[in-house]
Amino acid sequence: MSIASDHLNNLARPRSGATAGASSTQDSREYAVWRLCLWAGPVFMAVFIVFWGVMGHNIPPWNADLPAATIANWFRTEANTIRLGMVVAMTTAPLYCVWGLGIGRVMTRVVGRDSLLIDLQVWGAGLTVIPVLVTTSFWLTGAYRPEALPDAMLQMLYDMAWLLIDLAYFTTSIQLFAVGAAFLKDRRAQRLVPKWLSWYAIWVGFMFIAECLMPFFKTGPFARDGVLNYWIEFTIWFVWCPSLTFVLLRAVRRIEAEERT
Amino acid sequence: MTELTWAGSRVTDSGRRLPGDAGVWVFIFADTMAFGLFFLLFSRGRMGSPSLYRDSAQHLSVGLGVLNTLILLTSGALMALAVEAARRNERRLVQRFMAGAIGVGLCFAVTKVFEYSGKIKAGFTLLTNDFFMYYYVLTGVHFLHFVIGIVVLLILSAKARNDAIDAHFRVWIESGASYWHMVDLLWIMLFPLLYLQR
Repeated sequence: MSIASDHLNNLARPRSGATAGASSTQDSREYAVWRLCLWAGPVFMAVFIVFWGVMGHNIPPWNADLPAATIANWFRTEANTIRLGMVVAMTTAPLYCVWGLGIGRVMTRVVGRDSLLIDLQVWGAGLTVIPVLVTTSFWLTGAYRPEALPDAMLQMLYDMAWLLIDLAYFTTSIQLFAVGAAFLKDRRAQRLVPKWLSWYAIWVGFMFIAECLMPFFKTGPFARDGVLNYWIEFTIWFVWCPSLTFVLLRAVRRIEAEERT
Repeated sequence: MTELTWAGSRVTDSGRRLPGDAGVWVFIFADTMAFGLFFLLFSRGRMGSPSLYRDSAQHLSVGLGVLNTLILLTSGALMALAVEAARRNERRLVQRFMAGAIGVGLCFAVTKVFEYSGKIKAGFTLLTNDFFMYYYVLTGVHFLHFVIGIVVLLILSAKARNDAIDAHFRVWIESGASYWHMVDLLWIMLFPLLYLQR
């Protein structure tokens, strides 16, 4: 997933005359692709909230202490809603990786394109997609032929999905740590990403560790629908994504202006 | 009126400023808020079953709690002295005070190992009841902060040995010390909450 490319090398090269004019148009197109990639993050979040969250009954999830019959009944009566929700959530899940690639391009202007921090960030974002894809397929499996499956098996599919989506947190933490560390290295008088947002990312990555508690509880603040392990953890991540995107879109405008002059 | 230093610290007209890197304070603030939420959750649970929490707290050792408080406060004081020494550019003193802060701080880990193993042997685990759930989670998360703090102090100690004791280093050491004091502060909140409410 290395993000270095010949085209990026061309971007950094000084130009003159007619070549510069042609290149400038090409640069604008390249930055437009950056912006498109950066928009992929909030789009992923919005789609995820509606299709995985609302249609998949994950805001909040079913309490882990409920009887299997409740979960099974939901799979059977809402099968089509769940199918549609999970199909769209699976389709758009890779947008998170696309977002990570967009962030990686901006990072090249802070830490240099060979920095390992960029690879860590892109890999973290890319690997975050995997639990989303796998867990949505579990929910989809439950909704595929729920009338033929026993209650306990449907409950198991629901549990498996939640255990994986929560406990795969460290892939995202790697992305958060790398983004935070990279933008803290910015030596510009006015940073591309404010310091508070970089530290916030590091803090969110650190807070995710609380997910380790989730398998031990079925009720209370550390359960999958608990105050900490659900409401706080998901909210701080969902706040970070659009906030960083907003800041990075402004950063791209600055980079474009800087590199034109 | 305030102005910003290169590290983002705010300096007021009276010369007072936020120690260390302003960004670190975002982390400290957010982390303290998270613990504030833990304390609220614990207090709400305690209000729901006061006798269970009171009876369970009887099984905690106040002596070890006091010892841990003294250990962390002493380590924090040594760290504050190291910062003062850095401001006076006294490398040897910085190194000594930091070695002291780390050495004393590590005693906290030793007493915690005794405390946790004693509780587990006596049959009190994360799943015993809500009080012990909070006891292990709160002290466990605090312990994780402590471990990170020790790593930070070790890195700073290496920097004190190898790098120049300049403005850049002072921002580093003040930031690390601020984090270390947060670890103290959180324990000072945890100790009465868990050990002394009987």
